[in-house]
Amino acid sequence: MTTDHRHIGRPVPPRHHDRLVRGHGRFAADLRADGMLYAALVRSPLPHAEVTGFDATAARRDPRCALVLGPGELAARTAPIPTVWRLPGQPEDAVPVAVRTARYAGQPLGIVVADTPTAAADLAETVRLDLRPLPPVPTLADALAEGARPVVPGTGDNTAGRIRFGSPPEEVAAALSRAAVVVERAFTLPRLHHTPLETRGVLAAHDPGTGLLTVHASSQAPHAMRQDLCAVLGLRADRVRVVSSDVGGSFGSKVLLYPDEAMVCAAAVALGSAVRWTESRAENFTAAYQGRGQQATARLAVGADGRFLAFDADILADLGAYATQAGSGPAQVTGLTLQGPYRADAAAATVTGVHTTRVPTGAFRGYGMQEAAFLRERLVDETARELGLPATELRLRNLLRPDELPYTTHTGLTYDSGDYGAALRRAAALADRPRPPDAPWVRRGTAVVTAVEITAFAPTALLEAYGIAWSGWEGVRLRINHDGTVTVYAGVIAVGQGIETTLAQIAAEGLGIPLDWVRVELGDTDTAPHSDLSAQASRALTLAGGALVTAARRLADRMRQLAAAFLDTAPEKVRTRIAATAAPSSPDAVFHTPDGARIAWREVAHRGYRGWGRARPTDPIRLEESVDFDPPQLTFAHGAHAAEVAVDLGTGRTTVTGYWAVHDSGVLVNPLIAHGQIAGGIAQGLGQALTEEATVDADGLPTTRSLREYTLPASPDIPEDLVIEHTSTPSTVIPGGFKGLGEGGTILPPAAVACAVAAAVPEIAHTLTSLPLTPPRIRAALRAAGLTAEGDIR
Amino acid sequence: MTAVAFAHTAPDTLDAALRALAAPGRTATPLAGGQSLVPLLTSRQVRPDVVVDLTGVPGLTGITVGPDRVRIGAMTTLRTLERHPELAAALPVLGRAAAAVAHPHIRRRATLGGSLCHAAPAAELPAVAVALGAEVVLRSLRGTRSVPADRFATGAHTTVRAPDEMATEIVFPRTTGLTHTFHELCTRGATGYPVAGVCLGLRTDGGRVRAARVVVTGCGDVPLRLPGTEARLTGRPVAGPHPGLLAALVAEAAAHGGPEDGGYRAEVAGVLLLRALADRGEGAAR
Repeated sequence: MTTDHRHIGRPVPPRHHDRLVRGHGRFAADLRADGMLYAALVRSPLPHAEVTGFDATAARRDPRCALVLGPGELAARTAPIPTVWRLPGQPEDAVPVAVRTARYAGQPLGIVVADTPTAAADLAETVRLDLRPLPPVPTLADALAEGARPVVPGTGDNTAGRIRFGSPPEEVAAALSRAAVVVERAFTLPRLHHTPLETRGVLAAHDPGTGLLTVHASSQAPHAMRQDLCAVLGLRADRVRVVSSDVGGSFGSKVLLYPDEAMVCAAAVALGSAVRWTESRAENFTAAYQGRGQQATARLAVGADGRFLAFDADILADLGAYATQAGSGPAQVTGLTLQGPYRADAAAATVTGVHTTRVPTGAFRGYGMQEAAFLRERLVDETARELGLPATELRLRNLLRPDELPYTTHTGLTYDSGDYGAALRRAAALADRPRPPDAPWVRRGTAVVTAVEITAFAPTALLEAYGIAWSGWEGVRLRINHDGTVTVYAGVIAVGQGIETTLAQIAAEGLGIPLDWVRVELGDTDTAPHSDLSAQASRALTLAGGALVTAARRLADRMRQLAAAFLDTAPEKVRTRIAATAAPSSPDAVFHTPDGARIAWREVAHRGYRGWGRARPTDPIRLEESVDFDPPQLTFAHGAHAAEVAVDLGTGRTTVTGYWAVHDSGVLVNPLIAHGQIAGGIAQGLGQALTEEATVDADGLPTTRSLREYTLPASPDIPEDLVIEHTSTPSTVIPGGFKGLGEGGTILPPAAVACAVAAAVPEIAHTLTSLPLTPPRIRAALRAAGLTAEGDIR
Repeated sequence: MTAVAFAHTAPDTLDAALRALAAPGRTATPLAGGQSLVPLLTSRQVRPDVVVDLTGVPGLTGITVGPDRVRIGAMTTLRTLERHPELAAALPVLGRAAAAVAHPHIRRRATLGGSLCHAAPAAELPAVAVALGAEVVLRSLRGTRSVPADRFATGAHTTVRAPDEMATEIVFPRTTGLTHTFHELCTRGATGYPVAGVCLGLRTDGGRVRAARVVVTGCGDVPLRLPGTEARLTGRPVAGPHPGLLAALVAEAAAHGGPEDGGYRAEVAGVLLLRALADRGEGAAR
């Protein structure tokens, strides 16, 4: 009996769930080391202030204190963190660890290390800061006001560089002049907190004997962290090892080395010992980088026939106090992806970075594409209303058809494959249902929106072209061990998304073996192939998986050749017979010939390690294949989302009553994991549509400091009618045909919900350009439109 | 973060608990269900020298339904209020308001006395206590006193309770002649924090309001009783129409100096009130 070891496409339960549910997870706060000490940060209480004094005398005298590093000591021990993706004209190219001027409330100024976490926190409080307050610059309007104080000293204003993408201005102007209708709106996309379940955390251990610094961190990108640590601490690459332990959610907030994490590592080196820091929830709300934070004026020009002539946007990105390593990246992607899945005569965007005295912004799931989708889909929606056309009809007229692909946008992105219209029509059909009768004060509406998604963010040439000083390729090392078991090492890491399961599926299918023979080892810079971007940008499965397809094919061929040598036959005559439940050590898991000769899989592996059976003495011995995969271009996933909402005219509360998503991520390795990723992304996107906003007060101090002020969606807020379907257009550029889906679910919900609210209450449609759509905001718009709160109550 | 180091004492008699609260020279905080206090401790917003854990003190839990009043021990959990058949028959609004608090895990620990003493401006049970005319019994080594609920909270998270006092019992009269309901809007679905709410007490006759009690949450530092709104309702048909009632409620609440939200919470309270009236008008008509 032969068993077909097909694993790709099977809804295998994610492997890590069992371990985590049983409490065997190892998150940063679970880790221990001999003689471990604990760190607490001294942070600026003010958003903008000169630090004229840092007096830690009391702390240093305390017997519980191991070390205090203030701005002076940190300046001697650290170099700034280099940036990798800059805007033309950006005034700074590094993020300092040691500072004499605080530029945001919560900025780390120093670190205290003590023998217990409580002692560290107690002693950090005793540090006397002398701060000379400087005027805060909390908003984009403040930053760009005439005479605003520059956040970066010595610069003339608060702009942090500018870039233009897409059609030349004269082409945009020409398209605008041909237009029958130009719809222009001003948009505000607020800053968001990532609020991962697990806050940040670091255990840094320095061995003074070997000089080795071992850092366990809740990080999405351990190699990038190592690279930055080497630069900051002046250490050789082979003296720093970074290990990503279990990561309890990240969403883009754990892709960079932060100054406070660098301080913990500097303290470990200074002490020659192990130091652990666990970020508190309050710190996560003030000191962890935030996402989004854009204002834009965007316009869509259409012809009388409803044909899109031009998309155009001026985007202001609130970078905060510093342009971080990737700084303006998300806003640049907003500009790059504004055109979306539509055909247009012209498309362009100008992106301007702006400094404020707020915590820096950076990557957030959807990376600029959620912002672009919101601008674009709201503009299309408003345009349809202006033209008196059904919005779905207007979209279908302008969506790129499969026969137009590959298609290169005006901003230079080449879409490889997809059927955008099919997804939109399907989502519209799913959402088309009778609406239940409602109270007189409730209005319902439905809308369908669509987007393409950059996935497999990689081609190294593309990164080079954009001036991004990271590599984009991904590597895997696939090993068959001497006992026949199989280990995958990859540079991408697990952040809860299930990558250790999907990579195992790809390896097992490629080798033709049971799934449980394969283990996947990730996250340790000592053993994992180099990876700068690792688990971000919807790239892990596509790129590591693409590499693994090739590695598995090569290793399967080598095993077959070794077996053929033993069986004294030609490799193409060798077959395998491995039962679905066989163990790798099983004598029944065999290579065999048609005439009955056989050798066990494990025996082939074992002989392989002895070096026996090679065709030529120069053939490789170790049963390992290392493959680096640098795809020729991006691959684009796409999807359409439909939302049905009920708007309470009295309270302004919007409830999502139904949600339908149709995604195309090419070949799905694991539909169960795909469903979880998309459902989670939708839930996160619904929070961003309706409740989430990181705010500051008039003095520039953060006002969302806990989950009390920052409202995340909970399970009852996610509609029971949440339907996710897939179409499948294989990628033409990734082996295996995979496309990414880590971010797709998050990209469309704000646009879908806002357009559905517009459909429910067209009287306020034109105002729905700012997120989140909180009840007070909707209520104010209703009031302005003359819809009184008591109107429908009799 | 971790709390500032504190002593923990778990007395097993009321007298020992009162002595712990009264210990001179150190600040003591009573710990009931801990659903508000523990986060305040770990975020270092509260830094007592000693935490007096009341969970082992006998005689502080239980619901006694009498002919004229209902006495509820301060350490009775919200989950108990929610699921108590006799209480549901005597004062159904208490259980329903309790059920509106957070989610079951929290209600299993949170207590009635804790909720009143924490005195969050938008909290459900302090408003219901005001609407029902409850009295909070405070004990200390100095003696016992009883404070009407509408004079118990003095501001956001502040009450008349002296540091050496603890709430032992809340007494609800059954003789108001009003029937109460509670309605609220939360920051999200059913599990969020309350934004605003209203406890409405009505005595009706022939579909008309004979007496009304209106207490709103979230519109000021403490639950606000709105006598002006009550007076406007009196004599009106329950089912309405109630022209001008919403605006009047917003104005009356604003006179107490509400939150800086452009009157949004008061408007929500008013909307909830109008809907409650429509509901009850319909019920009365059936």
